[in-house]
Amino acid sequence: MRLLLLAPLVLGVAWAQVQPAPPPATPPPPATPSTTPPAATPDQSAPAASDFPISGSVEVGYRIVPGVGGNQNVYDSTVNLGQGLRLINLDFTVSPVKSLFDHFEVQASSWGDPYDSARVEVDKNGLYRFTADYRNTAYFDFLPSFANPAASSGSLLTESSFDTHIRTSDVELDLLPGHWISPYLGWSRDSWYGSGTTDFTDFPNNYPVANSESDSTNTFRGGVQLQLPRTHVVLEGGGTTFKDDQGASDSVTENGDLTLPYFGEQLNLSGLSELYRVRGDSIYTKASIASNPWEWLSVSGTFMYADPSLTTNYTSSANGTLFLPATFAFYNSGQDMATADANMPHSSGSLTAEARPMRRLRIVEYWSTDRLHNAADSLLTEEYLTTGSTFLNTNPDTDRLVLTDNQQQLEAFYEVLPGLTVHGGERYEWGDATVRGSTLSELPLESSSLSRNTGLGGVSFRMKQTVRASADFEASSNGEAYFRTSLHNYWRLRSRAQWEFLPNWRLAGDFFELNNNNPDPSVDLHFVSRAESASLSWLPKGGHNVDVLLEYTRSNVNSNILYLDPGTLGTALSTYLENGNTATALIDLAPKAFGSFAPRFSFGGSLFTSAGSRPTDYYQPTARLSVPLAKGVLWNSEWRWYSMSERLYAFEDFRSNQLMLSLKYTR
Amino acid sequence: MLLEKVCLFAAAAVLLVGMTAAFAQTPKGFGGTAQCGTCHDEISKAFEKNPHHVVDTDKHLGHAGFACETCHGPGAKHADSLSAADIRNPAKLSPDEQNKLCLTCHRNESTPVGRIAGGHPEGGPGCVGCHSIHGTDHRPLVVHASADVNKMCAACHQSVWADFQRPYKHRLPEGAMSCVGCHNPHGSGSETQRVAFANEPGCFRCHGEMRGPFTYEHAPVRLEGCMACHEPHGSANPRMLIRHEVRFVCLECHSNLVSNPPSAGHQTLGGTPPSFHDLRNPRYQNCTVCHVKIHGSYVDGTLLR
Repeated sequence: MRLLLLAPLVLGVAWAQVQPAPPPATPPPPATPSTTPPAATPDQSAPAASDFPISGSVEVGYRIVPGVGGNQNVYDSTVNLGQGLRLINLDFTVSPVKSLFDHFEVQASSWGDPYDSARVEVDKNGLYRFTADYRNTAYFDFLPSFANPAASSGSLLTESSFDTHIRTSDVELDLLPGHWISPYLGWSRDSWYGSGTTDFTDFPNNYPVANSESDSTNTFRGGVQLQLPRTHVVLEGGGTTFKDDQGASDSVTENGDLTLPYFGEQLNLSGLSELYRVRGDSIYTKASIASNPWEWLSVSGTFMYADPSLTTNYTSSANGTLFLPATFAFYNSGQDMATADANMPHSSGSLTAEARPMRRLRIVEYWSTDRLHNAADSLLTEEYLTTGSTFLNTNPDTDRLVLTDNQQQLEAFYEVLPGLTVHGGERYEWGDATVRGSTLSELPLESSSLSRNTGLGGVSFRMKQTVRASADFEASSNGEAYFRTSLHNYWRLRSRAQWEFLPNWRLAGDFFELNNNNPDPSVDLHFVSRAESASLSWLPKGGHNVDVLLEYTRSNVNSNILYLDPGTLGTALSTYLENGNTATALIDLAPKAFGSFAPRFSFGGSLFTSAGSRPTDYYQPTARLSVPLAKGVLWNSEWRWYSMSERLYAFEDFRSNQLMLSLKYTR
Repeated sequence: MLLEKVCLFAAAAVLLVGMTAAFAQTPKGFGGTAQCGTCHDEISKAFEKNPHHVVDTDKHLGHAGFACETCHGPGAKHADSLSAADIRNPAKLSPDEQNKLCLTCHRNESTPVGRIAGGHPEGGPGCVGCHSIHGTDHRPLVVHASADVNKMCAACHQSVWADFQRPYKHRLPEGAMSCVGCHNPHGSGSETQRVAFANEPGCFRCHGEMRGPFTYEHAPVRLEGCMACHEPHGSANPRMLIRHEVRFVCLECHSNLVSNPPSAGHQTLGGTPPSFHDLRNPRYQNCTVCHVKIHGSYVDGTLLR
């Protein structure tokens, strides 16, 4: 038996012998070279590392915000920049000639602002690479019109707001990067914590209550990359832990949104304690392989499997004058307790084969599958103290969500002429899903299927370094989809073009349109989304003295679909219309006359204005003056203006004028 | 038994020797890295700190001693003639040819922004459109700072960048995030969106509290993803919703008008109206005020808690 195992080894030797060790010689460069934009090059203005091992810059400033006119909560929900000292940017690199590392780099930005980040990278070429990323985003949201679109009429019954932070961290250590075998270890964490106002719903009333949330997910991973001649393999295993603690509470008497007496009683909530304690974990496996067995064929495949599960413990205690529909009676105190478990094995796989049977022809076949099965069960116990009696109810329940999605795509690319490539093909998506039935449905589960055949086509064109254009089109009709609003009879077009009509002048444009219709008389969906953009850039001499970028985008969304009004059970039309115009400009000037100590003046910003269902104007003009004070020392003054106005929700308008003064030191 | 062991050992030895011999061959027309350095001194010295330098030193990769020619092709003729026409310049190849060249080694590689499943989607730039292969000042081969990444992507994706100028958006213009936080630029189709953990939508990398599995799922989150309800790039609507009022986001799916299942023969999900709510009452104009666990609930099938 073991002798049989030797066969692949011997074949492997023979195969290695017949394969030329270096990469095969590829055809000579074509007559039409690439017109791709210039490669991103690192800032070369920093001093050479050999002069001194440390280089970089630090910028510290103070933001002055004289005040926010209008709605402070909406300002905090969209801009959220405050006054005070800020570490605007820190970026330094240590590059010793001989050390335990070749390169040690630290980047940090916006410390003191609602979104700060940091990155550390250390590496020894070919030996190890260590990276650590951290990001913190303050996430504030209090928009009265979101919670209650009728808020403009003075009705502030409902509330929904939060003041939270999202923190993410990611650490990875790669050993022997670039070598034929490269193990790696990593750890990621994301957490969300904060407080807010939410609603506690107790039929037929709902009450605004304070809530708090704190959750975190830790992911540990380890793997290895194997780079063999013509074959590349990645194997990774990992696990996650998850915890989520939420709570809602209330200690003052709230009458809730139902202001009128209900069967003669004024409902109220005088006390609430609601707690969620959720714990979960998962293991996962990822494997992928890619191989070029012959010059004309490459094959790659991936397989991923995860098995997350969660356990929930929930308690709720409410006091007040509350209503219990089950007994059609009022109660003064009630407790709910629930335990629940959910488990969702999830496996995915894909396979891609790319063949080049002729120099000008490339054929790509792609297949993928995604399968998940969430099985959950819960046990809810309710106990209510009504006048003179106790109502006790125990309610076990189960739930399922099962999804199988598949996709197969075949596409061919043919270079008709040098620089002109056309492509076309077909994509077929199919699958089925089983989910929980709706509340009023008699069935506990409902199912649907997906079946969609899509035709694909496109063209790309390049001419020397000056012109590049491409267009991609896809269309499908008479398919089956999971939801009323899913893609049904649709076509989608994306096109993009760039033209360097003069040296240093570039004109670019792109166009996108999605047109989706569902002719079913009960749906009657007509959806169009369109966007056209044009930009002009001028960078004479690499933009050292003048840099001009102007962009304009016009967008349009027009959607109409029938729906059932749940209040009248009659047919109604949901219409959404948005005509948006966006313009951005950035003009950067550094007069030559001042030589290397030239001040730089930049101005521009962006404006967005829309008409339609939610007409909005949002302006962000800016201007900046940078003055060199000494070698490596720069004084920056930046002015910004933020202004938002909404014609239907004028009480949410705001405007803010702010000035940032900063010093930047570079060495 | 002994015979099998001997055979196994012999085969392993033959494999090792054979592969070493195969890798050690210096093919005809190649000059070697040292020869390149005689003229391209500056690039050669800087290349020692370039991540690609390992190609020159790791024999297992199969290109030891001629790293330059791995990408530039056989250089002996160019060394003799000193003519640029006799050497390949990958930066001047078409994007497709660039991709083919780089993917010879890098296909399937795991990177901080996802697996390299292929080049940038058709019509986009080749590898050197974003990567500086000769990056020489210890910097990696591509920019990392969020603001720099965004600037690079926005140069071509103007209409997407315009979406970020709307009031409700992910904070890319502020440099708090970058495009590659959600997108993998090395692939096409479904592989352009990054994944979290093994195979979850990339949104859960930051929004882990919505990952579940929930006891009671909200099906669109699993079946169509976050974009069923949200415009992740930016919107004029609060919380980046696709409609100006929440009720329309919900009711466009949660409608069971009469002719749908019988006539079409195809059942869509979520069609039954959820309840008898009077939409004229402000209380019912935002469904998520009461259905607070709209992304999935741990304890309630109606997503109220």
